[in-house]
Amino acid sequence: MMDSLSYPDVTQWAVPFFIAAILAEFLWIAIKGRGGRYETRDAVTSLIMGAGSVASGILLGFIAWGFFMVLWRITPLDLGTSIWVIILCFVLDDLRYYWVHRLGHRIRWVWASHVNHHSSQHYNLTTALRQTWTGTFSFIMIIRAPLVLLGFHPALVLFVGGINLVYQFWIHTEAIGKMPRWFEAVMNTPSHHRAHHGRNPRYLDCNYAGVFIIWDKIFGTFVPEQKDDPVDYGLVFNIASFNPLRVAFHEWVAIYRDVTQPGLSWKQRLLYALAPPGYSHDGSRDNSETIKAKHLIRNPNDRGTPGF
Amino acid sequence: MPLQILLILVVGGIAAVAVLLHLTGRSRQTYLDEGKARAAWSRQFPEQPAARVLVAQNGKAALVAPEAGQPPLGLVWSFGADAVARDLQHLHLSKTARGLQLQFSDFGAPRANLRLNPAEIEQWHRIIAAQSFDAASGEQSNTAGRPS
Repeated sequence: MMDSLSYPDVTQWAVPFFIAAILAEFLWIAIKGRGGRYETRDAVTSLIMGAGSVASGILLGFIAWGFFMVLWRITPLDLGTSIWVIILCFVLDDLRYYWVHRLGHRIRWVWASHVNHHSSQHYNLTTALRQTWTGTFSFIMIIRAPLVLLGFHPALVLFVGGINLVYQFWIHTEAIGKMPRWFEAVMNTPSHHRAHHGRNPRYLDCNYAGVFIIWDKIFGTFVPEQKDDPVDYGLVFNIASFNPLRVAFHEWVAIYRDVTQPGLSWKQRLLYALAPPGYSHDGSRDNSETIKAKHLIRNPNDRGTPGF
Repeated sequence: MPLQILLILVVGGIAAVAVLLHLTGRSRQTYLDEGKARAAWSRQFPEQPAARVLVAQNGKAALVAPEAGQPPLGLVWSFGADAVARDLQHLHLSKTARGLQLQFSDFGAPRANLRLNPAEIEQWHRIIAAQSFDAASGEQSNTAGRPS
């Protein structure tokens, strides 16, 4: 069984491409006068979040790596590194990404790590880089465990995960409308992912895919972007700070404040950390289900349309 | 990739994007008129339509009364090219040299620094302290006292 195997860190090698693509998108928007918006502080915050995420990976990556290597020593399986194994690993890892992403929106503890990616009211290529600093603390790396236990080497699992993230960069744009129909049917695209970033009731908790949109279609979470309901980007309750520290930690602080408020049962404290975002012990807050229900009361004609 | 090269790319890239955006006018804050303020409020609080709106002279903030005579009031303010909104509960209100500062107990929205003209400073302070647009004239006492 191989112990030492290494692949390039594709997200680091993609940095020059990221910068060039951001400049190209900005110039395209500036020249054409359409296809998105840029704002200085929003973009700089997103870029700093991206840099911080890379730094966090360098500093804390050893924790996930150590966990995967323990699993690699345990498993009797070794699928090797043939091209077919790499392709299979990529597809299965994308399924893994779908569930990680879905859990990231449905478990507040994981959402606290992911929320910063949705905290911009803009949607451009810099938004793609507004990544978490606290992924390690969400413990969501355990979802990768089955891949390693099935015999995919940890280095391969991280390699295909990196390719997955690099793929998702280009879909964070309004400059591309729709791709060809066959592509939209199978792949995650700017249109599908714009819907995912929407705070409109229709688009809450949809389109979790990384590369292949088929997972959303299989598991019932696909909502196509609607021309008559333009995507409103950001959070249901938007933050009002460009400070990267506040962007990175605001939901963790909110969890702490909720969990430590006096007069709660232990179950209620646990639910403030683990229930879907919007849980409250007294029903004073809205989650995505109640937001959709209230929207339908105000807009009954939307009942039965995508997302409702 | 060598760490030094990565560092240069990241720092240089962020600086280049920041300078380019600023020099091409992408640092301007959004201007709120009454319609935009109402829309921004409705976007955040769709179940509480704005009954009355008072926009600051510089167009950077607006006070909102969701229902006539009913506290709490709300605030919409420019946030870069966009706007954010909060209701005015559990806040610390203070005067500054150029306006008012509202400190919220919200880590994601710690404060709003409002630049107001001298007349607006007094007027807005009275309204927020009393949680009532009726306090604008200064004839009513500040009794509601929601801000702390």
